[in-house]
Amino acid sequence: MDRAFQRTKVLTGHLLQSPPTSSFQTPSLSSNACLNYSPPELSEKYAFDISDMRKLMDGHDLEERDRLFGMITQSKVFNPRVRGGKVFVSPDYNQSMEQQREMTWKRIEYLFERGVFQGWLTGEGEEVEMRRFACFEVLGLFDHSISIKLGVHFFLWGGAIQFFGTKHHHDKWLRDTENYLIKGCFAMTELGHGSNVRGIETITTYDSNTGEFVINTPCESAQKYWIGGAANHATHTIVFSQLNINGTNQGVHALIAQIRDADGNVCPNIRIADCGHKIGLNGVDNGRIWFDNVRVPRENLLNSVADVSPDGKYLSAIKDPDQRFAAFLAPLTAGRVNIAVNAVYQSKVGLAIAIRYALTRRAFSLKPKEPEVLLLDYPSHQRRLLPLLAKTYAMSFGANYLKMLYVKRTPQSNKIIHVVSSSFKATFTWSNMQILQECREACGGQGLKTENRVGHLKAEHDVQSTFEGDNNILMQQVSKALFAEYMAAQKPNKAFKGLGLEHMNKPCPVIPSQLTTTTLRCSQFQMDVLCLRERDLLNRFVAEVSQCQAKGESKEHAFIMSYQLAEDLGKAFSDRAILQTFVEAEATLAACSLKDVLGMLRSLYALNCLEDGAYLRYGYLSVENAATVRREITKICSELRPHALALVSSFGIPDAFLSPIAFNWIDANSWSSAQH
Amino acid sequence: MISRLLELFLAYEEDPNVKLVILKGKGRAFCAGGDVVAVVHDIWAGGWRAGANFFMKEFSLNYLMATYSKPQVSILNGIVMGGGNGVSMHGRFRVATENSVFAMPETALGLFPDVGASYFLSRLPGFFGEYVGLTGARLDGAEMLACGLATHFVPSAKLPMVEAALCDADSSDPVIISSIIDQYCEKPSLKEQTVYNRLDVIDRCFSQRTVEEILSALEREVVDQRDGWIFATIQTLKKASPTSLKISLRSIRVGRVQGVGACLAREYRMVCHVMRGEFSKDFFEGCRAILLDKDKNPKWEPSKLEHIADTTIDRYFSKVKDEDWEDLKPPTRSKFNLPPYVIAKL
Repeated sequence: MDRAFQRTKVLTGHLLQSPPTSSFQTPSLSSNACLNYSPPELSEKYAFDISDMRKLMDGHDLEERDRLFGMITQSKVFNPRVRGGKVFVSPDYNQSMEQQREMTWKRIEYLFERGVFQGWLTGEGEEVEMRRFACFEVLGLFDHSISIKLGVHFFLWGGAIQFFGTKHHHDKWLRDTENYLIKGCFAMTELGHGSNVRGIETITTYDSNTGEFVINTPCESAQKYWIGGAANHATHTIVFSQLNINGTNQGVHALIAQIRDADGNVCPNIRIADCGHKIGLNGVDNGRIWFDNVRVPRENLLNSVADVSPDGKYLSAIKDPDQRFAAFLAPLTAGRVNIAVNAVYQSKVGLAIAIRYALTRRAFSLKPKEPEVLLLDYPSHQRRLLPLLAKTYAMSFGANYLKMLYVKRTPQSNKIIHVVSSSFKATFTWSNMQILQECREACGGQGLKTENRVGHLKAEHDVQSTFEGDNNILMQQVSKALFAEYMAAQKPNKAFKGLGLEHMNKPCPVIPSQLTTTTLRCSQFQMDVLCLRERDLLNRFVAEVSQCQAKGESKEHAFIMSYQLAEDLGKAFSDRAILQTFVEAEATLAACSLKDVLGMLRSLYALNCLEDGAYLRYGYLSVENAATVRREITKICSELRPHALALVSSFGIPDAFLSPIAFNWIDANSWSSAQH
Repeated sequence: MISRLLELFLAYEEDPNVKLVILKGKGRAFCAGGDVVAVVHDIWAGGWRAGANFFMKEFSLNYLMATYSKPQVSILNGIVMGGGNGVSMHGRFRVATENSVFAMPETALGLFPDVGASYFLSRLPGFFGEYVGLTGARLDGAEMLACGLATHFVPSAKLPMVEAALCDADSSDPVIISSIIDQYCEKPSLKEQTVYNRLDVIDRCFSQRTVEEILSALEREVVDQRDGWIFATIQTLKKASPTSLKISLRSIRVGRVQGVGACLAREYRMVCHVMRGEFSKDFFEGCRAILLDKDKNPKWEPSKLEHIADTTIDRYFSKVKDEDWEDLKPPTRSKFNLPPYVIAKL
């Protein structure tokens, strides 16, 4: 009855609104007992300096990021639109595939003309590499397609020249690449072979009479597929192919081939087709390539690892083909690092939008006549979003660690980089999809509008779990690497060293039977309990594989059969490694309110890891312990609630890169807005 | 004057009879800016805190105007510079006339475009904001309208009619107010030599990473075009305080991605560092050379852009290390029903 009375009162108010006094235009709707948008900035408090937190999260090149943000918001080519009085920049995804590809290219030209890519290939040193990462992070916040197009040209094509090529390749190609006199792409994947690069079917032979390599696509399954940039724009490509020299297959090698001339016409003996429309990323022109006995000069073989002499002799300092192949692939990690980091930034966008929305959107009153409750004031809503926020903070520190590992790389650290980048790429991209889905749901119907971004990001970034290494394959590699570390540590006078496995050398941590709040929030306990899971799963995995081998099976077969433990182990390693980066970042801070909030986030991340099924399945936690953990998680969520706005504001993502529902979504949807 | 304006604006907000506020100047200026000489004297007499106090009040007024729940109409019939922009640009409506002359000339003085300029300059088209802020360039009424600093252009003869019509309508509705002013508006033509025709050059040059690179880019353009305007721009930049140029550039770039409150809070930090003269005394030297002794020959220290480290610039943006010092605490706005155009600025 109360409710009916209230509704009648509101409707009466609408109907009895006094007529406009002026003879000019119809006045804008005045607010009655209607919902008002109340900006969270006015009601929420910041307990710490968000610019300090931003410095910690972004880590480097803040000025350059701001400059690039400015370049994007200040130019029409990036499609600025006004909603609710604010400017937002985002590609128009309603355009056709061809138009989107064209716009992506125009944006690259715009940035190129302003010298954004200067030094990306010809420059050297950590500073240049870090600045390049920062640029990709910013561009990725605007649109995935532009960052992929640039990634293909600079990281894949350019990286291949840098790391597979030698001086004459650098001299011939790097400057022209940086100046976009040529447009590069990267033809590795085939219709029949993606993850298994060593099985690709493109074949290259050598003609010693003419001093040329002859590249050929022998069958339909050998066509190059998903080659970004190939369908419309690319002039040159790195071709990965089996190399047959004097009747012997020397394995997979890389060569340079031209596929278009300067006028954009496809070269003779090259056929190119479009991969067609995709569920997302339509600003990237993915193409399919067939090589019909294409002839390239001998110098086009990228010969840092192996070479062919003019008279047709195969030469390589590395005799073992497995090692040679590994040396080959190692330098391509930059792309993998980039994808991993980019995934974290997408999660930041999703959470910033969903949490800001939840700070202004209300639903249901607890008692009649009371105002409806803010979404983020519901414990269930907090439980949905805040652990994901904690995970994103954790992954952000992980990403910074991975970037540093990469730019400070040495030949000795290659193995660690490979394992960590595989683990983090898989974990961050999978988490990103989970986070975006939750954020989309938390935004309700508004999450379905493309211009509200959060839902659309899912389709755009779905590919991240597949390219640059299928996530499942990557995680299997992690478990295999851990297996190898275990076996190496069993040798006399050897111990676990590297990959953070040193805890295996110490006695097994003991988990107290009673878990108090103090214990649960202690970083040592959190590390212990994650190390415990990793340790036990590694032991079990090794035991199961060894058992299988003892029955006469090959190691490969044993790995395949132990996939379940491998998966659990990979996750255990990743969670623990990520927590470690969080703890280390936290330790750099002096005591302050920022550090306290960070500590709460770290605990929330760690305890959320304890909700993984492995803890009960393998008995690391009792049922009672698990219940205590669960309650503690709810407690931390409510303690973090007052910091939610500060925490997403610290992402340093300008308003223009979020979306209308993160701000005045009522005004953005007003009738007068729709008239313009 | 600032204290008085603060008093009035606070009172008008609570007074239901006040529907809008019209601000205008007397004589040939709307407002030529803060009395910088007085601030310098205050600092000599009472230390940097006396100067900081002035800016604290001024920026609080600027914030109040930026977040005001009722529309403000500023009639910019004449000079509007420095602090004059702080009390007009944040309002909902800015009416330019054929007499308007806009400038933010702080870099010549050893200061930086403050009063929330890092907010409103950074939002001008392209990189026009960097150009206007670093060079202190003067804009006329037509240019102000073209770039959005002014919302309307009304010939000065019609101003009394605009005022009368606004008072008659007695409305807080921005749609109504705008349409009233529209009735007396004119579309002024940009002068032939207008800087507004050089936006592509400005964008190319003023989007560069550093002040040094901006200068190099401008110098490259001179070779190509033999242009008087570019040459003059380069000279202006070379005469300005190098420290001012660097902190101004960063202020505008950071301000572009911040709300108006954050911009003012950050500018307050910066201006306190300037008052304290910890890293440079250019502000005092600039005031001496331009305003006091008027020899127009300031001796900047550091004298060269290359001598100023990034870490020094960083310090201008950090909190002041002093026990009694506090960040700018602007008046609370949460109890007012803020219109959408205000909410969009937060």
